[in-house]
Amino acid sequence: MIEEIRTKARELLESGTVDCVIGYERATDGINARPLFVYDAAGADRLIFDQTCTHNLVKYLRNRKDKVTGIVVKGCDSRAVNLLISEHQIEREKAYIIGVVCPGIVETGWNKKSDKLRDICQVCRQHTPVVYDFLVGEPPASEPEVEPYPDVAAMEAKTPAEREDFWREQSSRCIRCYACRQVCPGCYCSECFVERLDPLWVGIRIAPKENEMWNSMRAFHLTGRCIGCNQCERVCPMNIPLSLLNRKLEKEVAETFHFQAGMDAETPAPFATFEKDEKIGIGE
Amino acid sequence: MSQYISKQDLLSWLGKLRESHRLAAPVRVDDLVLFKKVERVEDIALDFDNTTLSPKEFFFPPTETLFYADRKDGQVELVPAEVTEETVIFGIRPCDAKGIATLDLPYMEEPGDALYQQHRDRTTLIGLSCIKACPECFCTSMGSGPDDASNVDIMLTEAGEGYIVQVLTDKGKAIAPQLAEKDVQAPPAPAVTPVPSEGISEKMREAFDDPYWGRLADRCLHCSMCSYVCPTCYCFDIRDYNENGRANRVRSWESCQSPGFTKIAGGHDPRADKGIRLRQRFGHKLLYFPEHFGTMHCIGCGRCVRSCPVNIDIREIIQDVQKLGAQK
Repeated sequence: MIEEIRTKARELLESGTVDCVIGYERATDGINARPLFVYDAAGADRLIFDQTCTHNLVKYLRNRKDKVTGIVVKGCDSRAVNLLISEHQIEREKAYIIGVVCPGIVETGWNKKSDKLRDICQVCRQHTPVVYDFLVGEPPASEPEVEPYPDVAAMEAKTPAEREDFWREQSSRCIRCYACRQVCPGCYCSECFVERLDPLWVGIRIAPKENEMWNSMRAFHLTGRCIGCNQCERVCPMNIPLSLLNRKLEKEVAETFHFQAGMDAETPAPFATFEKDEKIGIGE
Repeated sequence: MSQYISKQDLLSWLGKLRESHRLAAPVRVDDLVLFKKVERVEDIALDFDNTTLSPKEFFFPPTETLFYADRKDGQVELVPAEVTEETVIFGIRPCDAKGIATLDLPYMEEPGDALYQQHRDRTTLIGLSCIKACPECFCTSMGSGPDDASNVDIMLTEAGEGYIVQVLTDKGKAIAPQLAEKDVQAPPAPAVTPVPSEGISEKMREAFDDPYWGRLADRCLHCSMCSYVCPTCYCFDIRDYNENGRANRVRSWESCQSPGFTKIAGGHDPRADKGIRLRQRFGHKLLYFPEHFGTMHCIGCGRCVRSCPVNIDIREIIQDVQKLGAQK
């Protein structure tokens, strides 16, 4: 697998098809992976791929809009490519996609990894990328049938008061470092609502009320757009289970609109369309 | 012979301190270890590596009101905020104590930050030596060490079933417990992996225009995590609020890594470039701050190394920058 990725990257760089390949290399703890930007064929030898390659590299494509970029994507990451194409943030021709059939990512932390798959990978239905130019690995004949939202169902089973307590406590920890936003392929507003002064949506105070507002608005803005890569939750230094909010909204959108973000670049997203005979309101 | 306190006596002493002071100590919250106001001494974590966030939040809180403005009889009256609580922080690692001493430099330099000074005056620090070194720590390369007692009021070092106690300042004496004399030796300080910090400031100056920073910034997400977990980062943003007719001037943590940090009126941003923005962080740590204050702006706690979502590792950067000149 690694050799195939390296060979392809070398070939793309040598032929001038791309001027950079974004992939993974080993991090300084010797255990985890980190993003790697390869600019010359010799550098391709640093590329790796294994079950620690958690990052969704698609985030970086918007920084390189004018150049053709090679990029390594897993199943979930590939949906971000479609999301960004459908939202006119990147052009398909500007990305050479090295798709990887994903074996699932294990739980990792600084200087440690486990053998256990991330929760989100245990319910994965997209091991094979939905878009690619070159595929590495053997795609499974069919994707597994799994109940995709056991965590959301467990949260739904709680009383509203219990849920409120839970999220109050979680939000009170937030330090508003915005790593969840910065890592998210769907978060690319040139001016985020939290940084707007006029109108002032959320104050700068790193305090429970403002944090709750931030955490919930972030999730709502990704409704029908979140592609489920779970990066927001992975990067949170305060271990707030942010993807639970995203997954609740993803479940609602799936049930109501039969829509999953990023499966292709053509289907209009529910909140980006309006039909004349569409009914709005509750209980219709 | 050493001054000594058993683990049980330590807990009952902390229990007593809790009655007269706001006592903060490392407490486990899910998978995190955070400095929290102690409700029950049994909650205090004694076997932690280091806390997720540094103790800087007790001197430079994430959010703090600087003053209030009231309107009275047609006049505006400014009411400064005041720190009234006496605080004891237990369980500060030597690197973090050095971090507080480093934070003192910008905040207590003339004319001095009144609120910071009050926090400092009303807080007593109880340090805890490191029995083992974390793989990402490099305190010995940044002017401190696992058993450095120079920046706390009382220092504890775990030995046997209790702790060797050094009472170091008047503040420490004021709260010190009853101690026994015991014939115990402090365990040898753990070995810390050094980084080549010698001469790094000069190398940073030479590396100012190097394309290295742009390449390094390729993978940087420009979140504010490194600044917020850092014991010495001290930048803030200020905003005024109106609450029930009373104006509040509030400051909150802010980071040079956040997009728009340097944006000025008219929309220009002198540090819009990712590489220049990232260079600022390490330039400040290793060159500009040392030039101004005579000491590194990094204490080698390794928190940014551990937390960074894309492994921007200051230890690696120091090594790389040392080598940059050699290539030329």
